[in-house]
Amino acid sequence: MNYFPDEVIEHVFDFVTSHKDRNAISLVCKSWYKIERYSRQKVFIGNCYAINPERLLRRFPCLKSLTLKGKPHFADFNLVPHEWGGFVLPWIEALARSRVGLEELRLKRMVVTDESLELLSRSFVNFKSLVLVSCEGFTTDGLASIAANCRHLRDLDLQENEIDDHRGQWLSCFPDTCTTLVTLNFACLEGETNLVALERLVARSPNLKSLKLNRAVPLDALARLMVCAPQIVDLGVGSYENDPDSESYMKLKAAIKKCTSLRSLSGFLEAAPHCLSAFHPICHNLTSLNLSYAAEIHGSHLIKLIQHCKKLQRLWILDSIGDKGLEVVASTCKDLQELRVFPSDLLGGGNTAVTEEGLVAISAGCPKLHSILYFCQQMTNAALVTVAKNCPNFIRFRLCILEPNKPDHVTSQPLDEGFGAIVKACKSLRRLSLSGLLTDQVFLYIGMYANQLEMLSIAFAGDTDKGMLYVLNGCKKMKKLEIRDSPFGDTALLADVSKYETMRSLWMSSCEVTLSGCKRLAQKAPWLNVEIINENDNNRMEENGHEGRQKVDKLYLYRTVVGTRMDAPPFVWIL
Amino acid sequence: MEKEGLGLEITELRLGLPGRDVAEKMMKKRAFTEMNMTSSGSNSDQCESGVVSSGGDVEKVNDSPAAKSQVVGWPPVCSYRRKNSCKEASTTKVGLGYVKVSMDGVPYLRKMDLGSSQGYDDLAFALDKLFGFRGIGVALKDGDNCEYVTIYEDKDGDWMLAGDVPWGMFIESCKRLRIMKRSDASGFGLQPRGVDE
Repeated sequence: MNYFPDEVIEHVFDFVTSHKDRNAISLVCKSWYKIERYSRQKVFIGNCYAINPERLLRRFPCLKSLTLKGKPHFADFNLVPHEWGGFVLPWIEALARSRVGLEELRLKRMVVTDESLELLSRSFVNFKSLVLVSCEGFTTDGLASIAANCRHLRDLDLQENEIDDHRGQWLSCFPDTCTTLVTLNFACLEGETNLVALERLVARSPNLKSLKLNRAVPLDALARLMVCAPQIVDLGVGSYENDPDSESYMKLKAAIKKCTSLRSLSGFLEAAPHCLSAFHPICHNLTSLNLSYAAEIHGSHLIKLIQHCKKLQRLWILDSIGDKGLEVVASTCKDLQELRVFPSDLLGGGNTAVTEEGLVAISAGCPKLHSILYFCQQMTNAALVTVAKNCPNFIRFRLCILEPNKPDHVTSQPLDEGFGAIVKACKSLRRLSLSGLLTDQVFLYIGMYANQLEMLSIAFAGDTDKGMLYVLNGCKKMKKLEIRDSPFGDTALLADVSKYETMRSLWMSSCEVTLSGCKRLAQKAPWLNVEIINENDNNRMEENGHEGRQKVDKLYLYRTVVGTRMDAPPFVWIL
Repeated sequence: MEKEGLGLEITELRLGLPGRDVAEKMMKKRAFTEMNMTSSGSNSDQCESGVVSSGGDVEKVNDSPAAKSQVVGWPPVCSYRRKNSCKEASTTKVGLGYVKVSMDGVPYLRKMDLGSSQGYDDLAFALDKLFGFRGIGVALKDGDNCEYVTIYEDKDGDWMLAGDVPWGMFIESCKRLRIMKRSDASGFGLQPRGVDE
C-alpha cells in the first residue's frame, strides 16, 4: 500500500466516483483515509441530521458538490408536519463561512428559504448547479437571486417543489452575459412566465440540453423556443393546446423535426391530444417519456404515440392507459427498463383501469425491466409469480393496490406467496413496497430471501411483532424501513437495538409502539435520535396517567453522530 | 355508469375481469369510510380519499387502531402530484360542470358551467353571452346556414358535432367545447351528421 506516492494513489481514487465505493476506500487504512478525504469532491448525505456541516467540512475540506436529504420519505404523503425540520440555511451558512469552493448543491425534501438562496448565490463564485427536489419554503424571489448572481450557472433544476410564485421577473434576472445554461427546469412554477425573457435566454444558451417549461408557456412560444434550441435532449412541454391548423402549430411541427437529439419528453400539463402527432417524427429516438401529468392524453392518441416509441427505456404514465394500453407498451417497447403507472383518479371513482393483467403483459414483453412502480385495482398471487419468473432482474419493485388489505381477488388469499415469489427470484432487489392483504408470512420470505434489500415500505400489513422481527433479523443490508398502520410494537422495536446502527432510519406510524418502549430504546441507544411526532395531543402524553402505555402516533429514529438536533419544533419530542 | 347525485361517491360497477367479484367483496373488505376521513393539520387536500364508502356494511379487516379513523396519505401519491392531478380531475371530469370553451379567432379560452344550462337552446344562449357574438346559437340550432359550428370533445377524445345526442347524454360526455369556423371543419375529423355510431 505504501509503494506509491500519495499523488498516484489520489489519481487512482479519481476514478472511483460512487460514494459507496469511496466510503469503502476510506476504511482500508489511515493513509488511504487521509488521501481519500482530501480528494473527495462529491459528498452524499442521506439524512441531514446524521451529521452537521462543521464536521463535514473538517473531514472533506475540498468539497465541491453536496447532496442533502431532509425529511423522511413519508413526508411526501403528508405524514410529516411542514415545520418538522430539514432546514438548509445552517448548511449554507457554514459552507459560506468556510469558503469551500462549492459548485453543486442537490437537495431533497428540505426547507429552503429565499434567504438561503440569496446567500448561496453570493457566497460561491464557481457555483454551477442547483437541483431542488420536493423542497419548499421559497419563492421566485429566491430564484431571481440565483439567476442574477451565479455567473457560471449551468443547471437550475426544480422538480416537484412547492414554490410561491410571485409572478416576478426572475427569468429576466439572468444577465445577458449568462450563456452557460445546460439545464433549465421550472415546470413546477404555477405563475405566468415572461416569455420574451425566456426566449432570449434560450436563444443565448447554446449548451442548453434540458428545458422543462411550466403551464404558462403556450404552444406558440414552445414553437419559437424549439427553433432556438434544436440541440435539445430533454424537453418538458408546458401547455400544449392549439388549433392544429394554425401557423404556430405548423411551425412547431417543422421545429420538432429538426430536434434530432431529443431523447426525453415530459410535461403536457394541459394538452390537446390531437396535436401529439407533431411529435411522431422524433418518437423513434425517445428513451424516456413521462406523461404522468398529462391527464388529457389517453385513448387512441396515447397509444399511437407509444407505438412510435420503440426505443423507450423509461415510461411514466397514468393508469388511464389501461391493461390494453400496457399490452401495446409490452409489444412495442422492448428496451423498457423502468415503468411507473400512477393513479389518474384519486377521488376513488373507480375509474382506474389497470389490473394484474397489465403487469403480467409488461413483464412478459419487456425482459430488461428492472424498476417498477404500479398502482392498480387488484392483484393475484398467480400474476406475481408469473412476473417474478419473467423478470428476475428487478432492483425496485413497488406495488400499490389502491384498496388497503385487499386479498388476491381470485382466491381471496393474502398476497404473501406472490410477494414471496418476487423476493425469491429477484436476487438484486434493493427496494420493495408492499400492499394488499399480507400476513407475517410475507415478512418471513422477505427476511429469508431479500438479501440485498435496502429500502422497505410497509402499510396495513402483518399480524404480530414476528413480522417486523423477520425483516430486522434477515435483511442485512436494510437501510430505510418505513412502516405505517401495522400491528408491530415494542417487542419488535426493542429486540435488537444495535440493528439501527446499521440502518439510516426507521419510521413507524400508527403502529403498536408505546411511549415507554420508545423511551427504553432511546436509553439503550444514545447514538440514535428517537423522535416522537405528536401533532394533535401536544402535552397530553405527559399528563395522561397511562403515560407509558400510550401508543405513539409517529416514531422516526435515525443514527447520528451529532446528537439531538436543536431545531425541532415543539410537537417533536426527542427522547 | 357512474351514479351521481348520491353525495357519497360509490364504487363504480362496470364490466370486470373474469373471476372478479365486484361490488360485494369490495364493500365488505373496506376498512375505511369517506366520512372518517378528516383533514388534520397539513392534510387539507380533498383528494385524500382514495377509498370510498359504500354507505353499507363496512367490515374492518385491519385491527390497527389508526385504521379506524384517518386514512391520511393513502394511496401513497406524493402531495405535489396529488395537487396537480386533482386540478386536472376537476377540469376534465365529466359532468362536473365547468368545461373549457374556445372560439376560433379569440386568443383566450373561457370556462362555462354546463350544469347551469337546461338544454341546447340554453347552451346556445349562454355561448352567445360568453363571447358576445350572436350567431353561435344559430350554429347549434340550424347547422348549415351560418359561419360557425359548435363541436365538443367527448370522453373518448373524439370531436363531435354538438346537437346530435340528447342533452343528458351530451353533458355527461362533453369535456370541452369549441366554436370553430365552418370553413375549417372539413378534414378535421368531425363525425358527420346523420351517420350512425
